[in-house]
Amino acid sequence: MRFRTLAAFSLTAGLLATVVSIRAEVEESMWGFTPSRNLAVEGTGIPDSWDPKTGENIKWTAELGAQTYAGPVIHGDKVFVGTNNQSLKNPKLTGDRGVIMAFNREDGAFLWQMTHTKLPAGRVNDWPQQGICSTPYIEGDRLYYISNQCEVVCIDTEGFRDGENDGPIQDEAETSEIDGDVIWKLDMIEELTVFPHNLATCSPIAVGDLLFVITANGVDEGHVAIPSPFAPSFIAINKKTGELAWESDLPGENILHGQWANPTYGVVNGKGQVYMPGGDGWLYALDAETGKLVWKFDCNPKESVWELGGRGTRNAIIATPVFLDNKVYIAVGQDPEHGEGVGHLWAIDATGTGDVTETGAVWHLGDEDFHRTISTVAIHDGILYAADLSGFVYALDLATGKPHWKYDTFAAIWGSPFVADGKVLIGDEDGDVAVLKAGPEMELLFEGNMGSAVYTTPVLDAGTLYIASRNRLFAIEAK
Amino acid sequence: MRTKIQLVLLLTFGLTSNLPAGDWSHWRGPDQNGTSPEPGLVSDWDLGGKNLLWRADFMGRSTPIVQGGRVYVIGRSGQDITEQEHVACFDAETGSLVWEHKFNVFHTTIPFNRVGWASLAGDPTTGYVYAHGVQGMFFCFDRDGEVVWSRSLTEEFGRISGYGGRTHTPFVNGNLVVISYLNTSWGNQAPPRHRYFAFNKHTGDVVWVSNPSGPPKDTTYSTPIHMNVNGRDLMVAGNADGSVYALEMATGRKVWGFRLSQRGLNSSVVASGKYVYASHSEENHDSAALGRVVCIDATGSGDVTQTHEVWRYEGQTVGYTSPVLHDGHLYVVDNSANVHCLDAMSGALKWEQSVGTVGKGSPVIADGKLYATEVNGGFQIWDVSGDEPKVLDKKRIECEGGVHAEIYGSPAISGGRVYFTTEEGLYCLGSGEPRRSSMTMPEKPAFDATLPPASVQVRPAEVEVTPGGTVRFTSHLFNELGQEMWQTNGTWGGEGVDGSFGDDGAVTVSGVNGQSGTVTFKSGDLEGSARIRVVPSLPYEEDFEDAKLGTYPSFWIGAAGKFKAVEMDGGQVLVKPPAVRALHRSAVFVGPSDASGYTIQVDMMGTKKRRVRSDVGLISHRYTLDLMGNHQRLQVRSWASDLRMAKTIDFTWEPDVWYTMKMAVEQADDKTIVKGKVWKRGTEEPADWTITAEDPLPIREGSPGIYGYSPTNVYYDNIKVW
Repeated sequence: MRFRTLAAFSLTAGLLATVVSIRAEVEESMWGFTPSRNLAVEGTGIPDSWDPKTGENIKWTAELGAQTYAGPVIHGDKVFVGTNNQSLKNPKLTGDRGVIMAFNREDGAFLWQMTHTKLPAGRVNDWPQQGICSTPYIEGDRLYYISNQCEVVCIDTEGFRDGENDGPIQDEAETSEIDGDVIWKLDMIEELTVFPHNLATCSPIAVGDLLFVITANGVDEGHVAIPSPFAPSFIAINKKTGELAWESDLPGENILHGQWANPTYGVVNGKGQVYMPGGDGWLYALDAETGKLVWKFDCNPKESVWELGGRGTRNAIIATPVFLDNKVYIAVGQDPEHGEGVGHLWAIDATGTGDVTETGAVWHLGDEDFHRTISTVAIHDGILYAADLSGFVYALDLATGKPHWKYDTFAAIWGSPFVADGKVLIGDEDGDVAVLKAGPEMELLFEGNMGSAVYTTPVLDAGTLYIASRNRLFAIEAK
Repeated sequence: MRTKIQLVLLLTFGLTSNLPAGDWSHWRGPDQNGTSPEPGLVSDWDLGGKNLLWRADFMGRSTPIVQGGRVYVIGRSGQDITEQEHVACFDAETGSLVWEHKFNVFHTTIPFNRVGWASLAGDPTTGYVYAHGVQGMFFCFDRDGEVVWSRSLTEEFGRISGYGGRTHTPFVNGNLVVISYLNTSWGNQAPPRHRYFAFNKHTGDVVWVSNPSGPPKDTTYSTPIHMNVNGRDLMVAGNADGSVYALEMATGRKVWGFRLSQRGLNSSVVASGKYVYASHSEENHDSAALGRVVCIDATGSGDVTQTHEVWRYEGQTVGYTSPVLHDGHLYVVDNSANVHCLDAMSGALKWEQSVGTVGKGSPVIADGKLYATEVNGGFQIWDVSGDEPKVLDKKRIECEGGVHAEIYGSPAISGGRVYFTTEEGLYCLGSGEPRRSSMTMPEKPAFDATLPPASVQVRPAEVEVTPGGTVRFTSHLFNELGQEMWQTNGTWGGEGVDGSFGDDGAVTVSGVNGQSGTVTFKSGDLEGSARIRVVPSLPYEEDFEDAKLGTYPSFWIGAAGKFKAVEMDGGQVLVKPPAVRALHRSAVFVGPSDASGYTIQVDMMGTKKRRVRSDVGLISHRYTLDLMGNHQRLQVRSWASDLRMAKTIDFTWEPDVWYTMKMAVEQADDKTIVKGKVWKRGTEEPADWTITAEDPLPIREGSPGIYGYSPTNVYYDNIKVW
C-alpha cells in the first residue's frame, strides 16, 4: 500500500498523528492495510464486472500453488502471496513446502519465492499442503511473516534479485535470482518451546520497533492437553534484530484448540494497546511496550460450553480484531472443520482495565443471529460489514449493531468482506466473489466466479483489484 | 487338508442365490453404487407427519442398514459419565426398538460427537451385523443382538485412531468380512500402514491381511466395494497413501494400484462393468489443481496410473462423499456440497447444483429421485429424471433449541422406504404399504479346473496363543483368478517361535516366554505364511536386563519405532524418546486383550527439557493411570478426549527421579473401582491408594500396558503384572 492512501485512511480512522508521522518515513503494507486492521480503503476502480473465463477486465493472472490462504498484499511494485509448492516455480525445490511468492504488480510476472520445507512432525504441527497462511507485514524493503515451520522470518523484499545477500543470515542454500534472501529468523519451537497446533498462521504487524506475533501454541495431536503450557502465546520481537522483546503467559493452558488469529494495534488515551485474540475465546488487550495485561474480555457467554469435535457453544477466536475510535470489533469461531454453529460478534469498549467482560460490551450480535466465523469485519461510513462461515454477509449499524441487511452467498465463507469504491466484496468457497452495494440498502451488483474457492480477501490498490483464488492470482482492472 | 466335499461346497456357494428382498446391507446399497431399483418412493414429506412413517430417538452420524425387516444403526448415547458407543436395531415397519448394545470407548482421542463414525455392514445370508467402534472393537452381532464374536483391533493388532474420528466401515463378501485401519504391531506389520484384515465372517478368525500401500498420509474412511473383472473377484478401495487399490477378494493379493492423491483417500469408489470411479479433494500426484474425479479401467495389473486412466474431471474437490452411478451418469458431491452430474463414459459435466455448504453425506438415487443429506441439517429430494434437476423437497432438521442437527450419513432405501440418521433421530420416510422387490445376486463364473495354482494362503493368517498352546493351521491353494483349488502336498515350517511343527499344520508353542514369528507352508514354488504371537501367561515380569539394546519384547503391540531398551546406570531400562512426528502419545499392550483381575506395577522416570515435561503411565482393563509432568497431576481415565469417568488430582513429582506406579482394577457388580498409587522408587510403598475412581459402566477386561507422552524422554523398568 502506498503511504498516501494509508495516511489519509489512518487519519480518518482516528489514529494519533504521532503514529502516522512515524510511518510517514516508510511504506508499510499488511493484512488489513493498517495495524488497526479495518478492511476498508478509499479508492476507486472496481469494475462493474469481470470474467476469468473470457478475460473480461482481467489485467493479468498468475498461477499460485494449489492452496492459498495468505494475501494478496501489495507493496511497492510487487504483489506478495502465501501459498503451497504445487506449481513448482523452482523445479529444483520439490515436495510439499510453504511458499511466499512475489509477482510484478504491473504484469503479474513471477519474480522470486521463499520456500520452507515441512516440519518432520507433519500434520499435528505443520499440516500438509497448507502452504504459508501468514500474510506478510512489509515495511520498506523488509518483509515479515510466520513460516509453516513456526518461525518468525524477516526477508528482503527484493529476494536475491538485487544480487545482494542482506542481513546476518548468510548461509541460504538457494541464492539464484528467483530465491528469497533471509535477514533473520526466530524459531519459536526451538527458542520458546511453542507447540503449534496444525499450523502457525499469524499475520504479524509492527509498530515502532516491535513486531507482534501470536505463536500458534495449542493442543496436542489428541486434542486432550496443551503439551507446552509454559510456552508463550503472545510475543513482541524487535523487528530489526529478531530478538524477543516480551512474552505473555496468557492464555496458558486454557487454550481450547489452536491459535490462528492475528494481533491488532490501537492507541487508547495515548497508550498503545495490542489486541491478542486468545485460543481460549478471550480477547486480551496488552500494553504494546511491555506485554502487560490492560484488559480482557470473554467473547463467549458464561454458560457456553467447549466440546471437543465442534458441537459445543464455546468458541475460540480465529478472526482478527478491528480497532476504531476506542472500540474493538471481533467475532468468535472455530476450525471450519468443526462445522457451523452459534457465533458472537462484539463491539467492545477499549478504554477499560482488568476483566471487562461484564462492562465492556458496547453491543453484541449472536446466538441464532450470527454464526461461527473466521472472518474479520470491515467498517465504512457508519456501517460494519461482517461475514460468517455459514455464508451470510451482514451490514450492521456501527453504533448499535442493528442489522441493515443480510445476504446469503449459499457457500462457506473463509475470507473477509472488503469495502472500497462504494462496494462490499466477499469471496466464498464456491469460488464466487459477490459485489454488494455499500450502504444501508442491500443490492447485489455483480457476482463473478474465479474458477476455484476464494479463501482470501480482495484488495484494491491504485485502481487495480487483486483477488487470490485457491490457485490463481488475478489483477482486475476496467479496460 | 481340503477334501472333495469342501470343494463342492465352494462351488455351491458360487451359484445364484436369492437374498431377502430389498435389503440395504452395504452402506451404498445392494449394488454398492448409491442406487436402489425400488419404485414408488416419496417425493416430499413433512416433519409434522406427511410421509414421515416414524422417527426414533437416536444420536448418530452413520448410514443405517436395513436387513430382514430390521434397521440397524451405530451412533452414540449417554451424557457425561454415561457416554458410550451405541448399536441399535429397530423394527423397519414400526420404528420400535428391538435391541441395543452400548459399549465403552477407550484408548482413543476421538471425541464424543464423532463416536459411531463408521457405518454398519450386514450379511444377508446369516443375518449378521458387523460394527467397527471408534475404540477398535470389532463386533459380529446376530440378528437378535447377541455377540457372535468380537476382536479388539487396538489391543490385538495395534490399530491406530486419530482425533479426527475417521474409522472404516466393514465390508462383507462371501465368507469374509473385511475391515481396514492404520496399524503398527510387530514383525512385518511394525511400519505403520493402512492394512486390510479379512476375517472369517462366522468365526472372527483372520483369513488374510493385505498391505498394498506405502506410508499413510492421513487417517481415512474409504469403504471397499466388490467387482468381478475378467472372472476374478476383486475388492477395490481408496487407501490412506493416496492410491486406489484392487485386491484379489479371496486372498488379499494386490492386483493393481492407481496413484491419485498426495493425501489419503476418503471417498469410496463405485464400479460399473470394468470401470471404477474414484475421487479426492487434495493435491493431485501430477498437477497443480486441487482434487479430481477419475474413471479407471479395472482390467490392468501392477501400477496402472499411467496406463488405465479413462478420463478425469479435474480440479474438483470431491473428498468425502461417494459417487452415485445411475443410468450412465455419475453424480458426485464436492466438499462444498455442490452436486455434479457427469456423463459416466466421458466425464463431461451435464449439470451442477448446490445442496448446501458442506458435502459429507453421499446421496442416493432411486425412482428417478435423488435423496441428499447435508451436514447442516439438510435433507433434499430432487427429481433427476430430466435434463436438469428439479428440487421437490427441502428440509432442515433441527435439535431442540433450533440448532441444526448434524447429518453426516447417507440415506438407505428398502421396502419402499427411505431411512436416514441425524444427530437427533433416525427417520423413516414412505407412503402406504411397504413393498418387497426381489433381488438376485449375479452369477459367479464357473470354476476353471485347468488354471494352475497361483498362491497359497495359511489360516488363521494371524493368531495369538499362550505358551504351551497349540494352533492348527490350514493351507489353501488358489488359482490366478483367486478361486480356491484342490489342496496339494506341501511342507510346514516356521521361524521366530520355539515349538513343534506337525505335518498337519499343528504348532505347539514351548517355553514360557512371549515371542512372535511366522508359520509357513511351501507347495512347489509357492509359499504362504501366517503370523503367530505368543503372549506370556501371568505373572509376567520384564526388567530389560536381557533385552537386546535398541529392541523391545517382540510380542508387544504398539512399541515398534517408539520404545527401545537402553543402558542406564550399569543396567538396562526401556526408553520412549520424543517422536519424530510429534505424535508423542503411545500405549503399548503387553498382554492378552481379554486379561482381567490383574495388578500392574512399573518403575518410571520422566524428564524435562527447557519448559516441557513428559507424562508417564500404566494401563489396566482399558483404563489409564497418567502421571502428568507439565501439569503436575495424576489422572485415571478410560477415554482421553472425553473424561467421562476420569478423576484428576494435583500431584507434585520431579523430573529425572524414578517413581514406582501401581494400578489395580476392582470389579464390583455394578461398577469398577480403578486404583492407582505412585511413590518414589526405593521408599516404602504407601499403604493407601493415591487415587481412586469409579466407573458405573464397568470395563471387565483388557490388556495390561504402559503409557507415555514423550516430548522429552520417558523411562520404564521392572514391569510386573500379576
